[in-house]
Amino acid sequence: MITLQDVSVQYRFITERKRSFQAHMIYFAKGKRAEKKTLWALRNISMDVHKGESLGLIGPNGAGKSTLLKVVSGVIKPTGGKVHTKGTIAPLIELSAGFDDELTGEENIYLNASILGFSRKEIEERYERIVDFSELRDFIGTPLKNYSSGMVARLAFSVATEADPDILIIDEVLAVGDARFRQKSKERILAFKNRGIAILFVSHDMEQVRNICNKVLWLDHGKIKMLGETHEVISAYETHQFERDTSVREKG
Amino acid sequence: MVNYFEEAKEIFRYRELLRNLVSRDIKKRYKRSALGFLWVMLDPLLMLLIFYVIFSGLFGSSTGKYSTYVMSGIILWQFFSQGTKVASSAFLQNRNLINKIYLPKAVFPLSVVSSSLVHFIFSLVPLFIIILFSGINLSFSLLLLPYVVVIVFIFSFGIALTVSTLAVFMHDVIYIYDVLLLGWMYISAIFYPVSILPDKLQVLLSLNPLYHYISLFRACLYDTALMTTGHIVFGTFFAVLSFLVGWSIYYRNKDRIVFYL
Repeated sequence: MITLQDVSVQYRFITERKRSFQAHMIYFAKGKRAEKKTLWALRNISMDVHKGESLGLIGPNGAGKSTLLKVVSGVIKPTGGKVHTKGTIAPLIELSAGFDDELTGEENIYLNASILGFSRKEIEERYERIVDFSELRDFIGTPLKNYSSGMVARLAFSVATEADPDILIIDEVLAVGDARFRQKSKERILAFKNRGIAILFVSHDMEQVRNICNKVLWLDHGKIKMLGETHEVISAYETHQFERDTSVREKG
Repeated sequence: MVNYFEEAKEIFRYRELLRNLVSRDIKKRYKRSALGFLWVMLDPLLMLLIFYVIFSGLFGSSTGKYSTYVMSGIILWQFFSQGTKVASSAFLQNRNLINKIYLPKAVFPLSVVSSSLVHFIFSLVPLFIIILFSGINLSFSLLLLPYVVVIVFIFSFGIALTVSTLAVFMHDVIYIYDVLLLGWMYISAIFYPVSILPDKLQVLLSLNPLYHYISLFRACLYDTALMTTGHIVFGTFFAVLSFLVGWSIYYRNKDRIVFYL
């Protein structure tokens, strides 16, 4: 389960990123600090996701959805507040980040699973199941650069979902592979939900959110705009978007 | 202190990743070359040839002894310099992963230094071939070789952590370190005998960790006279110092790194 208490994340942008030695010296000589702009990517977020619950995260681009996922998965330490997670976390975030084009499918399974923190023994136990689910047995000895993008995504999805996690973090990855594989991955995620795993799901596709989530958090400019039952929040969100669109049209 | 230890435990938990990163590095480096893994051995041999042609007449020692002298210097220097040089951009190169998935980030510089260690071990083969041809008798001091390798490894890892962490905040560090290495090589007594240096400089040499490591390495292989307490104490001291400095720089900044990548 996941508990967030008053979590805030602040990004600091340096207006002109002074990264070179020379620039450092110039700033230093002038006796001034670089100008910094700050942005609160998340502001006072409190929420929890219990076992068997799946929380959808919705909101416009830049609302802080991905930052929230990063905070939960431990990539980012929050500037303020507390994050508490219990159990192992499997992130389904930009699946192919940990792959290497030059290595074969098999080597990539080992590499990617170890990126997720698996031991050798755990990978060996899961290897056959991963290959079976990906349906890539015939290509498993081929370097990844000869795979199609759909095949890469299938392999990545298979590795990440064999993790047996307590918490699953999903960032819009259901659209991988062909229609049949998409269906298969959706079923797998629903099966996770039934097994009592806590799911955190980011998507712009409201249909998918309805299918998977029983709670939805609507984020806007890093703040909670609404948190509640899936259909309530989604209908409020859609009404809001509709109103915004029409007002834009009227103004235009 | 407790937290410092936690991070080390995390790295241990990700040891399979470390192993995969090292094996990937080695596979990729030699996959598409015709001579493949032979390059690990050919590389120091060719460097030796160059130094030999240029310097052997100059220093006028016997062929066998000079070859062993230079070769051991080159190999140990490469272990340190290649490892730390590649490691300097370890965080920047892996920004895609560090930005998306939680990992104990220090596995990246650690894996680079480890790959360098693997190369070092393979390049011992041509070195021992040369030693055999030179008619040098190995002695019991060879038993100290593992200790020397361990302290060089720890020293390199400390430098790698320092340079790679600083490079995230200031990219120039990579270039500065590159130049630094070049100069460092010339003051590490790799291809010239220490005796040609004036006395004053010889004193300064004791401040150069690599000089101690190279001397200890040579002591293990053929020149037991070099196995002095001074080299062992200084060598160990620099390794511990480098590790403590590197680890604390890394540890203090590890949560900030992701914001600067």
